[in-house]
Amino acid sequence: MTPGIRKFVRTAHITFTVGWLGAVAGFLALAIAGLTSKEAQTVRAAYIAMELITRFVLVPLSFIPLLLTGPLLSLGTPWGLFRHYWIMAKLVINILSTLILLLHMQPISYLAQVATEGTLSSADVSLQVQMVVASGAALLALLLATGLAVYKPRGMTPYGWRKQYEEHSAPSSADVST
Amino acid sequence: MSSQTPLPPDRATPPSMPRWVKVFGIILLMLVIVVIILHLTGNNLGGHIPHMP
Repeated sequence: MTPGIRKFVRTAHITFTVGWLGAVAGFLALAIAGLTSKEAQTVRAAYIAMELITRFVLVPLSFIPLLLTGPLLSLGTPWGLFRHYWIMAKLVINILSTLILLLHMQPISYLAQVATEGTLSSADVSLQVQMVVASGAALLALLLATGLAVYKPRGMTPYGWRKQYEEHSAPSSADVST
Repeated sequence: MSSQTPLPPDRATPPSMPRWVKVFGIILLMLVIVVIILHLTGNNLGGHIPHMP
């Protein structure tokens, strides 16, 4: 990967991941408003907005770094995807966060539909609480992933160590040609 | 997110797993166990939708 393309992919990756973090923070604010507000219109607006944010912001922002920019950035640079523990930890966090988001698609749609048609009942409180807990947990997980990307804690996997050891012990192409 | 490059290994044996990875793994395992317990007790994610039209 050329330095120009690498910089472009890195910029896209940071934009999507930090955008995802911001969108989850917005979702959490709406989930808290939906749970605690006494105004029926506020509650209704919150759950309708949550469904829209999920469908058009959260899902694309979670899939692009996970499936496109993340693997491109890892595999196109010496960092690799499975060479360092911090990269693998980020991968696990992103996979789990996306999985939890997909598991919540149906409950979010349900809450939005009920909020559109009428008023939420006491039977829906557990789902409303679940939205707050899940988005709060997702926010913490994504903050942790951001911290890992910035601090890059030390630790190379046995696979990464073996690959780099092989690369450094093997003669370079310049040595072979001369 | 920075332009740093990984440092080359300087030893003949693979390094041991850092403590932070073990802590991360234990926390992850605990979270998975909690989710499984919630699932088995009927509190699974998305499992309490009273009436989907």
